[in-house]
Amino acid sequence: MNKKLVNKEIMIAIKSAPLLSPSVYDIIRKIAEPDHSLADVVKIVKHDSALTARLLRVVNSAAFATLDPVNSVDRAISLLGERMVVGLAISESTGNLFHKPLEGYDGKKGDLWSHDLIVAYATRKIAGLAKINIDPELAFTGGLLHDIGKAIISDFLKGTAEELLQSIDKGHVDDYASAEKNFLGVNHQAVGYELAMNWNLPESIQQMILHHHSPAESDDEFKPYVYAVHLGDIISMMSGFGTGTDIMQYNLDQGYEEYFNLKFESIASVMLEIKDKCKRVIGVEDCM
Amino acid sequence: MSGTFLGIGDYAVSNEADSVLKTYLGSCVAVILLDPITRTVGMVHIALPDSSLDPSKKELLPGYFADSGIAVLFNKMKEYGFSEKSHKLIVKLVGGASVMSQCDVFNIGLRNVEAAKSILKSMGLHISSEDVGEKYSRSVAIEVDTGKVTVSSPGRGQWDI
Ligand SMILES: [Fe+2]
Ligand SMILES: [Fe+2]
Repeated sequence: MNKKLVNKEIMIAIKSAPLLSPSVYDIIRKIAEPDHSLADVVKIVKHDSALTARLLRVVNSAAFATLDPVNSVDRAISLLGERMVVGLAISESTGNLFHKPLEGYDGKKGDLWSHDLIVAYATRKIAGLAKINIDPELAFTGGLLHDIGKAIISDFLKGTAEELLQSIDKGHVDDYASAEKNFLGVNHQAVGYELAMNWNLPESIQQMILHHHSPAESDDEFKPYVYAVHLGDIISMMSGFGTGTDIMQYNLDQGYEEYFNLKFESIASVMLEIKDKCKRVIGVEDCM
Repeated sequence: MSGTFLGIGDYAVSNEADSVLKTYLGSCVAVILLDPITRTVGMVHIALPDSSLDPSKKELLPGYFADSGIAVLFNKMKEYGFSEKSHKLIVKLVGGASVMSQCDVFNIGLRNVEAAKSILKSMGLHISSEDVGEKYSRSVAIEVDTGKVTVSSPGRGQWDI
């Protein structure tokens, strides 16, 4: 296969991906600011009537089972929490991007979004175990977006799964991302990073996307966040939440020890968090 | 054919001939008990080796841990007519994949497999076949009618154990 040509096609696919709506973009930027408040998020949502309607619909749905109907944005957001608002906003505004089946990974419809949500919750939980202060909401958002490159690259990987897995098993490459790169000249992290730049996302989130399988290569300033996503991703896959054929085909970078003091019990607590969130919040069919 | 899907920490027992028990495993381990006389099949999806890790969870979700999970499944098999006095169960073990790393803390797959094996041994239950460890995740499906246990892994095909 001509790698250059595919690369060009991938660039076109990135350019033609849906754009984030202005309010979603504002919410993500806001959350990346260290001293933001929930009120800032409420203000943005109030200016977007479609998003407001969507949030009210979710908060009044059976899953949240409030006694009285919720009619105000303020109340809805305080019930849902900042992280749910981000999640719903991203999922709503990007059309099919997070929800299409990842054929290149033999993934089912919905796999990418449930993996992203699980990783987001796991990353948030891990942020709480850091030796230094990490903003849990920013970590959550990074987790949500970390694999977005797969939505683009998947179409170019159709029918490659067996070959890519074999190249790992035979030791020709050391993980699935390297196998992707060997085949296409680019991996899902790099494609996600291009998309994140196109979307003008904050640098912290760009780094979480680009380096979630190679955290040691990220800028020092963002390393704690990148390692948090790295760990959240690995633990989610250990719990059975992947996106298809690449599940558990990535290396764990032990450099996390500089930022996180993880004992066996802490990993267990993240797995318990995954179980908890899965049934209550995410409502995945075939919920693990 | 009706399928029952087991999430993390779930367990199920069935003697309905047309049903299938299924689950999906990363570092988790499935302990499968087959009673050839009553044609009953049981499976528990274990996430962690020991319930002392979170005793409150043990009450709520005994299947989550190897010790409480195997005990609860074994008792359920008895409710379905299994009798220790008359015959033996067929025991199969699947899962416990390991993460690509040298890091000991993350080797939960191995710990789960070891815990399950030592508990089964202490109960006098002999494992007749297993597909454990390695670095890939697995799906398991058990046909209640035939007791056939099929394992598959994304991109790696499927096989019976
Ligand atoms: Fe990834
Ligand atoms: Fe991932």
